[in-house]
Amino acid sequence: MESFVVRYRNLLVLLALLVAQILGLAMQVRRANSGQGDGQEVRLIRLWANGIVSPPEKVLHHTGSGVSWIWNNYFDLRHARQENVDLQKTIDRLRLEQAALLEDAKQGQRLQALLNFEQKYIYKTLPAEVIGTSGSEQSRVFTINKGRKDGIDRDMAVITPDGIVGKVRDVFGHTAQVLAINDQSSGAGVIMESTRIRGILRGNAQGRPEIVDVISDQRIKQGDKVLTAGGDQIFPRGLPVGVVDKVVNDPERDGFVDVILKPTAHLDQLDEVLVITATEPQFSQQQQQDIATSEALKGAEAEKQKTSEGMAEKLPGLIDPNLPSDQQPLNDTSNPGFPSKPTQALHPDRFTPANAAPPASVTPNDGQAPPKKPETPKQADQRNPAPQGDKQ
Amino acid sequence: MSVLSADARREFEIHRYPALIYALVPVLAVVLQAWLPRVLPRFARFDLPLVITVFFALSRRSPIQGSILGGVLGIFEDALTGRPIGINGIAKTLIGYLAATVGILVNVENHAVRLIMTFLLSLVGSATYFFVVRFLLGMSADTNWIAELYKAIGNSVIALVLFPLLDRTKIRD
Repeated sequence: MESFVVRYRNLLVLLALLVAQILGLAMQVRRANSGQGDGQEVRLIRLWANGIVSPPEKVLHHTGSGVSWIWNNYFDLRHARQENVDLQKTIDRLRLEQAALLEDAKQGQRLQALLNFEQKYIYKTLPAEVIGTSGSEQSRVFTINKGRKDGIDRDMAVITPDGIVGKVRDVFGHTAQVLAINDQSSGAGVIMESTRIRGILRGNAQGRPEIVDVISDQRIKQGDKVLTAGGDQIFPRGLPVGVVDKVVNDPERDGFVDVILKPTAHLDQLDEVLVITATEPQFSQQQQQDIATSEALKGAEAEKQKTSEGMAEKLPGLIDPNLPSDQQPLNDTSNPGFPSKPTQALHPDRFTPANAAPPASVTPNDGQAPPKKPETPKQADQRNPAPQGDKQ
Repeated sequence: MSVLSADARREFEIHRYPALIYALVPVLAVVLQAWLPRVLPRFARFDLPLVITVFFALSRRSPIQGSILGGVLGIFEDALTGRPIGINGIAKTLIGYLAATVGILVNVENHAVRLIMTFLLSLVGSATYFFVVRFLLGMSADTNWIAELYKAIGNSVIALVLFPLLDRTKIRD
């Protein structure tokens, strides 16, 4: 027996290592199928690997960034002063605009809450830099330089201004692993903008994002925009995902197609990403002050507008700015309540509106007869004597 | 290509390196494999830990050491991916074992032999990886063998540059 072990020890060690790893795989797959995440041991291995690999990655990343920073700043500083002035102006303007938008968003959210909409908004993001990858083409996972101590948590959405990127898969102290949307194990709820067809987005074996299990539909066209649907509790609704690149038949199911997308975010060349850390309103003190100022300004304006509207209601409206000239209330003859234009005089005289002398040109006793005194009844009888026959 | 008995070759041609090299080089390989694709996206097609596994397995000529080193490097690679741990581990355990076993039988000082060994073992590694993914885990895998052929050639070129550099760190009696 001893000689057998000694003779075949290399092979036995190999078999032991292989069997141990196969059993480990089987346990992981079983946990994954039952909806559980990584086990304690697997998580520990990932933690160790990340703890060993991340520090050198950070050093390499910062070294590379430092060299490019020095080089770029030499050129950037040449126009920095003027740019600072311009940017400060832009910031001032944007702060006011942002305050107004935040207030509108608050109002909109209040209204939606009334309508029982459960929609998530992006209120707080944390910028992070990509410092490493999984190192394999079969796995679309990358490492960012922000972790639990920066407020990152598992399943937080990761985006760029262009579109969604993925979700946080594992969180460590100062780093986190992000599962990109083009990985085979990823998943996100999406909707096609024009056709409103919903589906689940995941990566295929070639590393391209695709919407799977979609019932064949002729309306799906190349170039259609795809947005997040918001039903997965990870990505807020309405974020750009990509455009339809091509539609292929599902090889496993008749009548179903896979819609392959071209992602809007540059998934292969990510430098900086944004992690959505809060989807509830969390305004800073400055933002709250700006909102209060904006509300006060809006209140004063609203008061003014209310007063002018009250005045307008009391006064007759002869001219409606929203109507063409031939439909103005002034020209409407069907309504007897409105004063109409005077009809054309048959025998124009000096009292006809067009012939009336302007008031400035009229002076007292300018060649006209003096005003008559009122007649007494006797004077009237003398001027108009009664007929003779009547007296008899 | 001379063929000797395993014990004789192991006695005469076993290579030894400083402990720092044993510790640093595998870690550096995993770090570079994870970091370089960020700068050069196409580097993800190659496999630096595989090259290092082959190098140490050939040099040490110990199947047990080769298996363990390959297994550890593979598990580290798996830990950086979102996939189950053990896929690369199984593939590289096998590669470490095969490289050390063949290293006992042939003269691995020859650069051409090393090149061919790396090329063939790279293909074996790819085949094992896809076997585990497809048949043991039931996952879909992109089996583009032309790409795997290019990957094997790339790994051989890396080995061609790296092996002479690492040979310089060898402890000479």
